[in-house]
Amino acid sequence: MKRIILTVLLICSTVASAQQYLTREARLSFDAGSPLEDIEAFTESGSAVFDASSGKIGVQALMTSFQFKRALMQEHFNENYVESEKFPKASFRGVFAEGAVKGALSIHGITQEISVPASLTQEDGNFVLVTSFEILLADYGVKIPSAVANKISNTASIQVRATLKETTK
Amino acid sequence: MVRLFSILIFLLSALITNAQEDLFDLLDDGPQPTQFTYATFKGTKLLNGQTNETPGKGVLQYIISHRFGSFTDEYLYNFFGLDNAHIRMQLDYGISDRLNVGIGRSSVLKTSDTFVKYRALRQKTGANTFPFSLTLYSALNYRGARYTDGIDHNTSDRLSYQHQAVFARKFDERISLILAPSVVHWNLVPGPEDPNDTYHLMLGGRYKLTQRIALTGEYAFSSNRRYGSGATEEQFHNPLSIGVDIETGGHVFQFHLSNTRALSDPLWMARNPYSAANGSLFLGFNISRVFTVKQ
Repeated sequence: MKRIILTVLLICSTVASAQQYLTREARLSFDAGSPLEDIEAFTESGSAVFDASSGKIGVQALMTSFQFKRALMQEHFNENYVESEKFPKASFRGVFAEGAVKGALSIHGITQEISVPASLTQEDGNFVLVTSFEILLADYGVKIPSAVANKISNTASIQVRATLKETTK
Repeated sequence: MVRLFSILIFLLSALITNAQEDLFDLLDDGPQPTQFTYATFKGTKLLNGQTNETPGKGVLQYIISHRFGSFTDEYLYNFFGLDNAHIRMQLDYGISDRLNVGIGRSSVLKTSDTFVKYRALRQKTGANTFPFSLTLYSALNYRGARYTDGIDHNTSDRLSYQHQAVFARKFDERISLILAPSVVHWNLVPGPEDPNDTYHLMLGGRYKLTQRIALTGEYAFSSNRRYGSGATEEQFHNPLSIGVDIETGGHVFQFHLSNTRALSDPLWMARNPYSAANGSLFLGFNISRVFTVKQ
């Protein structure tokens, strides 16, 4: 009997731990500029998790961690456009399957179902997630005043690159 | 034994399910980065006084300010006071994200000024928290206007100073408050009994109505409001201003109603001859424009 319990315990602990991959240094960047104005920002402190057995994948970043070239642009981004104090994080929660990630993308407090091409490859025992896609800012309630409508694109192209390491938990 | 075993299995399976659901919680489990509080105020000036804000590194800022004539002074004849406006222009630059230097010129007493402003402490949240910001401001003013007292004045007579320690806290996305102990020093005062140093406590704040519009207000208590005696006696009043901030991209428009007219720091803070109680109220504005000269 003891042996059975031990076996079950062992199996369970393997299931629970071995196949999760994690990073806190995911690089996320976006471009919402126009020919009149460069509007680009990036962060290298995004989080990403992947469960190899279920295919579940999650990516998250703090809005205030995005670095812009201009301090004032960064302030306006947080203060006027994405309202970082109300909605501090952008996140994606979904699954990876057949060369695409599919799931819920939350930005500015609004969640939309998306399905976009992505690659997830194994390198040296790590998983490398790479994806780039476009979102429509209006889908996420990001309002652009008409005075600057010709300077800011109504879409943002987003790039994600993350190297996920096996968790030791 | 069977019961114990099934309980164990149940618990373990619960653990497994839990582990699955916890996957996304891992995203939040990381260390919380320290975040500096941003946009405590829209502008580097609140109304007349300073905020804790400075332009970012490599940013050149130009501010033009007007204070119009009084409501009590032939208001319509003077076109709402526009015909006799006092002005000040300011040009300043962000040497770093913390250090800001600038120059200014205002029409009252033909005053030129230069200032240095430094963000000593910054409010922050996250791994390291700090509850407020402290910005130090120091201005040197030079009176360019000729003296009419027939005395040959030294250059040093023309100098006055204002120093402010601006304590600011952004309470939430709408409300930010300022408490700024200040000192004004005059090299030359009207009479021998008058203090060269006066102490002031400025209170200020903003309430954001929308993302781009905020109500603002400012008041300063003074330690001494009477200068000279007899025929030369002058009575001064505490400065009070209310206004509205409108931010549009690179501009901040600040419109206000105030009982002060002079724009150089020592004058509006320590030698304001106008009293709101006597109907001396002035419309005014500050408009700032920033240029990123170095990225």
